[in-house]
Amino acid sequence: MIRIWQRFDVSLLKGKSATILILMVMFFVCLISVDWSELSPHGGGRSSIWTILSGFTTLDLSREFMLIALESTWITVTYSFCAISIALVIGIIGGLLASGTIFESWLGKLAGVVGFRVVLALIRSIHELIWAWFIAIVLGFTPISGVIALAIPYGAIIARVFADFLNDVPEAPLRSLRSSGAGPIKILIYGRIPLASRDMVSYGFYRFECCVRSAAVLSFIGLPGIGYQIAVSLEDLNFGQVWTLLLFLVGLVVSVDYWGSRVRRNMME
Amino acid sequence: MIKELDSPFRLVGVNRKVKDVSILSGMTFDVSAGERIAVLGPSGAGKTTLLRLLSVQILPDTGFIELFGSDTSYLRPGRDLSRAVGIISQQFDLVSNMSVIHNVLAGRLGEWSLFKSLYSLVSIRDPEVALNALNVMGLMGKEGLRVSQLSGGEQQRVAIARLMVQDPRIIIADEPVASLDPERSNEIMSLIEGVVVDRKKTLIATLHSLKLAHRYFDRAIGIRKGKIYFDVPTSSLTERILNELYRIDHD
Repeated sequence: MIRIWQRFDVSLLKGKSATILILMVMFFVCLISVDWSELSPHGGGRSSIWTILSGFTTLDLSREFMLIALESTWITVTYSFCAISIALVIGIIGGLLASGTIFESWLGKLAGVVGFRVVLALIRSIHELIWAWFIAIVLGFTPISGVIALAIPYGAIIARVFADFLNDVPEAPLRSLRSSGAGPIKILIYGRIPLASRDMVSYGFYRFECCVRSAAVLSFIGLPGIGYQIAVSLEDLNFGQVWTLLLFLVGLVVSVDYWGSRVRRNMME
Repeated sequence: MIKELDSPFRLVGVNRKVKDVSILSGMTFDVSAGERIAVLGPSGAGKTTLLRLLSVQILPDTGFIELFGSDTSYLRPGRDLSRAVGIISQQFDLVSNMSVIHNVLAGRLGEWSLFKSLYSLVSIRDPEVALNALNVMGLMGKEGLRVSQLSGGEQQRVAIARLMVQDPRIIIADEPVASLDPERSNEIMSLIEGVVVDRKKTLIATLHSLKLAHRYFDRAIGIRKGKIYFDVPTSSLTERILNELYRIDHD
């Protein structure tokens, strides 16, 4: 007679069971260590939830406020566009170096891959908010600080992902380019980059979307933009205005997403 | 520099292992200029490994291969090697989301400087070479399309056009007509033959069909379990010999 557990292919779980066990133990430890008594809303919390939600019915659609919302949205767009542009330049250059594909010798490959990947890991492990504080201390709370604060960690993240894309393209077309006499750089421009381009564009747009949201958050700390306006309206407890601004932000993110999908579709045809 | 005086290939006692399993052993044969050789044999016999050795993608473990008199272990990929040997494989190995003409002109990458290669992506260099090759392949007017927009048969002809542009003295074809029906197999083989005969090239191809071997090749090398099983002119190749080569041992 076959016992029930023998019907399952244990090899599927092999090596994974330890990971699953650790994750489950961690989950329960975390559950216990959170102080749940603070969860219940403080006095008047319930009514604040109602106030916040009811703001949705009192959206501020006045001409003056629309102009403010439009202007601050536009500022956020320009910041994130500048930041993502610089980040993409950093990402492409860093990605090429970290992928090790442009080096001919094993030594160069090793130095490129290990060296650049470590540098990129260090840069991106620091969040853009912390970069913003560092840079604001040096350059002051200027728009340029915000752009640089976004561009540095974003550039490092994009570089790392682009490096993986460039490494993961199918080998066979590259082999045939090599047999046509192409060296690493020609293989890169005639093979790796075209083969990885769709993923790269797709990821670039996704990062642009993230960048818009990050730019909004950054402007909470005093840089102009939609986040700053949200902070101002929040201080006045004017939730109608907060919701209006949030709708602008949603509209912005959705537009970027739509633009990205249009570009991707054009690339597929 | 690879000289052209010597014979295309000389293999002496070539052995090649993959992970301690012997794939080819004691391969010894010569290839003379202009020969058209069909390499036959069952799956797993070592045909692809042999072609990879001949196209200098891998090196023998022991023994040696001379390509136009130069030991292949001293050759590096690059212009000289691309002028000597060109390969076309079963999966065509094109860059699918680039245009047809750039894929064809990739055959010039060995000749072109890096700057010219880059510049050609903006404004196409040597277009007449590529257009001529596409014309011979019956792909006129398709040069601007992306390769992924073409049918399988058309993609294969793009790969042959690229080989024409590369213009190597030896063409190595790994199962060029696998997964094609007899009609299309004939079409592709006669296109390859056209390139080979017009330009007095040497052709070495793997295939499984007696008919195609008779029609397009003058020498047949049978490989079984990593060893040469026969090496005969195709005129003396018969169904019986071929069945013997492909038989399945039940031991």
